Amino acid sequence: MISRYILLCLLISLALPWHVCAEVVDETELDIQVREISKTLRCTVCQTENIWESGAPLAVQMRGAIRERLTLGHSPEEIHAYFLSRYGDYILMQPPKHGANWLIWLAPFVLLLVGGFFIYSEVRQWVKPTSPQPQDQPPPLDLEARKKIERELQP
Amino acid sequence: MNRGIQFILVVGLIALFALFLKGLGGDPRSIPTVLIGTTAPTFAGPDVESGKTLSLDQYKGKVVLLNFWASWCYECKVEHNDILRLHQQFKDNPDFVMLGVNYQDELPNAKEYLKTYGSSFQHVRDIKGTMAIDYGVYGVPETFVIDQQGIIRHKWVGPIVGQVYTNLTEQVISPLLHKTQSPT
Repeated sequence: MISRYILLCLLISLALPWHVCAEVVDETELDIQVREISKTLRCTVCQTENIWESGAPLAVQMRGAIRERLTLGHSPEEIHAYFLSRYGDYILMQPPKHGANWLIWLAPFVLLLVGGFFIYSEVRQWVKPTSPQPQDQPPPLDLEARKKIERELQP
Repeated sequence: MNRGIQFILVVGLIALFALFLKGLGGDPRSIPTVLIGTTAPTFAGPDVESGKTLSLDQYKGKVVLLNFWASWCYECKVEHNDILRLHQQFKDNPDFVMLGVNYQDELPNAKEYLKTYGSSFQHVRDIKGTMAIDYGVYGVPETFVIDQQGIIRHKWVGPIVGQVYTNLTEQVISPLLHKTQSPT
């Protein structure tokens, strides 16, 4: 009986939102803003890593610069504009949707469509339907089978 | 598949390949910076050797060469003799100033570096990395040339040696200094 209660308690505990316990509770509003902005900016000395995830000294200094600017009352948009004015589009984790950048955004979908169409048309050729055998006629017999039948029919 | 579609596919692939080759052919050291043609960000910081405040504003109206370096940087050592040679070449021109920016470094290491390899011009410390971010610096060494109007005219990522030195002195610094000296 006791083991049933233990099992029940274990099952109930699985349904509880335990992930809440793993959240950082002492994160201030400023920390959250620094994190959110840092996640959108590329670490310029790393490979496809944002400055929030990177441990590179430049990324650490960039996070410091974001914090300082937020403390001075700059808005996230102003901070983005600042980094953009220093490093260009390369600093943004997501390239802005204008001019030649549209190529980066649209090319994967275009290639997917073209590739899909190519595969579709190739596969369609491989599985060309063959003409069905007429129902009223038996399939033609080869010479060997015919001889066998004749032998069996002989008295 | 229809011939027309095959043709479009081949042309598309050739275009992608050409784009790829173009990308391979570029020199990553001459990444076009958005700062060229814009006003040089002003800065102030302590001199590596004396500790006195150095500011870009002190050199208004002059051609300023800014060289970002660090004692831990191998390529900075590679270019060091050429950097000293460059200063030697232009130091007598009253319209020319050369400033080193010591980046992501410890003060004793920076001082030791200058003592070991020699120094003939002033170096400002970028303690919090703000100068580097203001100048869109990726790493060291990086060199900027600012004209008499305070506009960034040139940026080079990597050591100033060989042909890079020749291009910098003959095609960037000399014409800018010549412009100052010639009557308008």
